Amino acid sequence: MISLDRASLRYGPILGLSPTTFELPDGGGITGLLGPNGAGKSSLLQLISGLLPPSGGDVKVFGEAPFRNPAVLARLGLVPEGDRLPTGLRADRWLRMMGELSGLSGEPLKASMARALAIVGMADRAYLTFARMSKGMRQRIRLAQALLHEPQLLILDEPFNGLDPEARLTLMDLLRRLAEGGVRVLVSSHILGEVAQLTDRILLLFRGRLLAEGSVGEIRQLLDRHPVELRLTGEPQELARWAVEQPELAALRMEEGAIVVSVRSPRDILPRLQRAAAGGQLPLRALDPLDLNLDAVFQYLTKDHA
Amino acid sequence: MTPAPTPSAPSPLATLRATAKGYAPRVFQARGWAVAALVMVPVALSLLVYTVAHIKGAEGRPYPGEALKVFHEVLVKMMLPIMALVAAPAGIREDLEQRTLPLLLVRPAAVWAYPMGKGLPWFLWGAAWLVLGALGLQIIGGDPALLLGRIAALVGAWWGELALMTLVGLLFKRGTLWGALYFFLWEPFVRIFPPFLQRLTFTHYIESLAGSRAAEIQTNQLLAQEQVTTHPALALLILLVFGALCWALAGWKLHRTPIGLAGSEAEG
Repeated sequence: MISLDRASLRYGPILGLSPTTFELPDGGGITGLLGPNGAGKSSLLQLISGLLPPSGGDVKVFGEAPFRNPAVLARLGLVPEGDRLPTGLRADRWLRMMGELSGLSGEPLKASMARALAIVGMADRAYLTFARMSKGMRQRIRLAQALLHEPQLLILDEPFNGLDPEARLTLMDLLRRLAEGGVRVLVSSHILGEVAQLTDRILLLFRGRLLAEGSVGEIRQLLDRHPVELRLTGEPQELARWAVEQPELAALRMEEGAIVVSVRSPRDILPRLQRAAAGGQLPLRALDPLDLNLDAVFQYLTKDHA
Repeated sequence: MTPAPTPSAPSPLATLRATAKGYAPRVFQARGWAVAALVMVPVALSLLVYTVAHIKGAEGRPYPGEALKVFHEVLVKMMLPIMALVAAPAGIREDLEQRTLPLLLVRPAAVWAYPMGKGLPWFLWGAAWLVLGALGLQIIGGDPALLLGRIAALVGAWWGELALMTLVGLLFKRGTLWGALYFFLWEPFVRIFPPFLQRLTFTHYIESLAGSRAAEIQTNQLLAQEQVTTHPALALLILLVFGALCWALAGWKLHRTPIGLAGSEAEG
């Protein structure tokens, strides 16, 4: 569906995105695009959504270059970052125009508008002008305009910014439903927790470079030189005796009723731990990975590139 | 949700229609009424002066040159350019500055039709008030024989000036400033320009259509150069073609320019 081959983007002398290569397959699902502010997330999304042509390399969406390409644009929807909508217009009339600009008319347009407004929960408030809407309502309308023509690829740039917790959960639920229905959803965010709740598949960007691609676990496995912290709950003395014999051990800390170990190459040590516990050689009651989450991955990766 | 069959891209005509219809309500807001006032206030003031003079027992007919003066000195020289300077930034330039343009650019529509589509409601709105203004001038003594010419001159020039300002707004960051310099520095020189340069002003074509004030000028207002005229039909055609060309160039510029989420600064 999306394929980048050494695609880069320059803003004059400034490199917005270093040559980047990755592919996203056809079909539904959610992919998170992660990185701090200025990492190049918006640059990447602008290349994929056809707003900007690449300064170098190739960008293909649905097999074609997306810049000013109606064949591609008819199949994607974009929700840009920010709270920007044309001033002084009514939401329903503006949506009608956006639908017409997507090639819809007559009954199909009416049906699409009704469906998109129902999905975002704005069917009964679309007659309001943008100025009379709350930020959350405007965000829903911005999402509705992207859904009007039933895109196969939905791109959202920092969609959770400024939303209250309830609106965030609603939006997350909506994106999950769309993905289950066959839509490929690409969401950018600089808040790791948000994306972690939404998807396991991430693209990690930092300073214009694609640092890593894959699931959180896959990326974590790339970082064998960074120890993983595990809490082993059970008989601390016995557990510590077993742990110090393992070559992957980097550090050990005793806690009440548990030990916390830092280990390299968890892929090697975890099967051994499992066998020992199953064989009754180890009094292990629980195993908790302490830093196998997006925050830890993000901090490890960005520390290396900072 | 199963993705539906992809809708086909709208035709350029459908793009024009949708954009014009979608943005039409903008003309009924403050900026639109300011445009209307620019035409109607001078005409209404002239009418007021005429009415007061009539009540006070004046001869009942205004000074014969009053309508001509309001038309040439106020509407053409001042109000028409200001209307273009006020209305054009509410066109496609507004989307560029408010960063709402990406929402239009990711549609499969004809991008080159957007500037004209957004400008059409403003053209129609302004033209309606200009026609009303020209009719109002008849009350204070406008020559009925020149009415059609005046209307054609105002509407034709409005079409050209609005399109020019839209184009300038896309070409330059400070488009309004460049437009103001053109209208208020270059155009007044029409009185001293040689024939070739006279043809590079709106004033020349407006006077060709609506009639010149040359017959009325005093000795101290004698032209430095010979005043030329263009056949009225040709003058109108030139204004219309010039406007269409400006809309087309603005569309071409928008189509060719990569405009990102951050606005024009993000040209890649």
